[in-house]
Amino acid sequence: MCELKKLWALTVRNMKCYFKDKFLFFVSLITPMILLVLFVTFLRTVYLDSFRSILQAFQFVADDKILNGLAGSWLLSSVMAVCSVTVAICSNAVMVQDKIEGSLSDLRTSPVKGTTLSLSYFMANFLVTLIVMLCVLAVGFVYLAVVGWYIPVGDVFMVLADTLCCVLFGTLLAGVIESYVSTQGALSAVSTLVSSLYGFICGAYMPLSQFAEGVRNILCVLPGTYGVGIMRSHLMRGYVEELGRTGLSSEGKTALLDAFDGNLYVGETQMPLWSMYVILLGTCALLLAAYITIVVLQNKKHAKRK
Amino acid sequence: MVIEINNLYKSFKNVKAVNDLSFCVKKGELFAFLGVNGAGKSTTINIISGILPKDSGTVVVCGEDVDKHADDVKAKLGIVFQSSVLDKRLSVYDNLKSRAALYGIFGAQFKARLDELDELLELKDILKRPLVKLSGGQRRRADIARALIHEPELLILDEPTTGLDPQTRQTVWKVIDGLRQKNGLTVFLTTHYMEEAAIADYVVILDAGKKVAEGTPHELKTVFATDIVRLYRHIDEASKLFLSQGFHVKRERDYVDVEVENTAAATKLITAHSELFDDYEVLKGNMDSVFLRVTGKDIREA
Repeated sequence: MCELKKLWALTVRNMKCYFKDKFLFFVSLITPMILLVLFVTFLRTVYLDSFRSILQAFQFVADDKILNGLAGSWLLSSVMAVCSVTVAICSNAVMVQDKIEGSLSDLRTSPVKGTTLSLSYFMANFLVTLIVMLCVLAVGFVYLAVVGWYIPVGDVFMVLADTLCCVLFGTLLAGVIESYVSTQGALSAVSTLVSSLYGFICGAYMPLSQFAEGVRNILCVLPGTYGVGIMRSHLMRGYVEELGRTGLSSEGKTALLDAFDGNLYVGETQMPLWSMYVILLGTCALLLAAYITIVVLQNKKHAKRK
Repeated sequence: MVIEINNLYKSFKNVKAVNDLSFCVKKGELFAFLGVNGAGKSTTINIISGILPKDSGTVVVCGEDVDKHADDVKAKLGIVFQSSVLDKRLSVYDNLKSRAALYGIFGAQFKARLDELDELLELKDILKRPLVKLSGGQRRRADIARALIHEPELLILDEPTTGLDPQTRQTVWKVIDGLRQKNGLTVFLTTHYMEEAAIADYVVILDAGKKVAEGTPHELKTVFATDIVRLYRHIDEASKLFLSQGFHVKRERDYVDVEVENTAAATKLITAHSELFDDYEVLKGNMDSVFLRVTGKDIREA
């Protein structure tokens, strides 16, 4: 019981360290802000033009309200999937900074178990990332409600579940990667690399359908792609269904979903939604196993010191 | 005994950081652990507190073997590190609250302890302020409060006053003295200030990981320190004479210092050359000269 109270106290402490560090908080929001700026400046127009040209092939003229909402939902799905990882990487910097600034030595002079310490970093990172992502999602939903809301209630709950999956994936990935980071330089390098690259390699900035087939197949091996995939499925589905209700043929809906990653393909095979969950959660299980192994090994190393 | 260390060894690759170190610290005493940077002081502290592994030897703290009962040992000692290791962006209150929780101190128990520490360290003004906005002295008070939050039996101070102005140093020492008098706290101190070591109950001097001297300040000064006879007149004649007699002489603008073995030698010198001694003083050897004599190094320059 006492160890649980210590765990919670440490978790709260880690969360406070993150939220009080304004620079860290700002850095972790860079990716969503970049995406938002890109969207406002030109991506929205590009998406809308692409939607219209696809629909034109099916001689269908859609209501602007639906198309605006569809463009917004595409952006929101990108932001949610990418930032679940980038925010987690930045938020987990508290763990690395504790090593760099000596706070970890201070914590280790107290009678607290090494596993409690490690678990507190994981829990704090998960909660911080979840809070930030739920705030981003709330802002995104408000935007969609303003431009055009066609997301069924069931899909809203599924998006919340998807957020949990993506946050879990991001938190575990950050935990594994940053377990071996112990300098400010390495921390900056990891944060910069992940923030700048991750969006591209999971198809968040540009639909995978626009990549060459070889590159697309390689990117489909990466589990992060399926984080984007599940988000897109639930955020875009309502809008595409609404287009169907207003007269768009099922071929037209498929073409639209194919072009904007609402459907994911490996080679010629379309990935069913359940398989995306299996891959993403399976990867989470593997990362969890890796994280536990790292924690156990690090604690054993520390125990040998005593 | 609060600390018993026997035949302690610790190496980092080819460097012997601690080399066959043995010493004891008695309950309630102020124990000074001296050495230049890299002598092995912090390494020893880190081993005592369970942060660093030892290669061999035994370390017993408050009756518990550090290897076998690490958590029991940790619950009984508090450490003030060389530089503050508290969370810089959190308030002093948040820092103390999170650290207290690690010792199982929550709720009303924490509030009561915080009140005690506030009385002792005058924390009220800084409790709500983030650490990053505090002065060096205020930050040190917060560090000491953190080290004392669980009422430890042993307080380890790793160069607690380095970088502080004289007034703040005095404040820190007032607090430490108060704790020792009121609670009988055992204090294990490393310092670069020899005047702080001079008030210790017992001193161990470390050089290149090995113990090179130990004893009370008085014992050390008696054995190792040299006295100085300072003459304010007849400077030129005195310099020439005592240099020719093989004394170590230091000529300054308006006085000359002649180094002698002890007080008896000073008396002998004065009586043998009374014509030169119509304005003089005899300065007793201090811990600086003990350290210099024992290690061959000046602790302030190292």
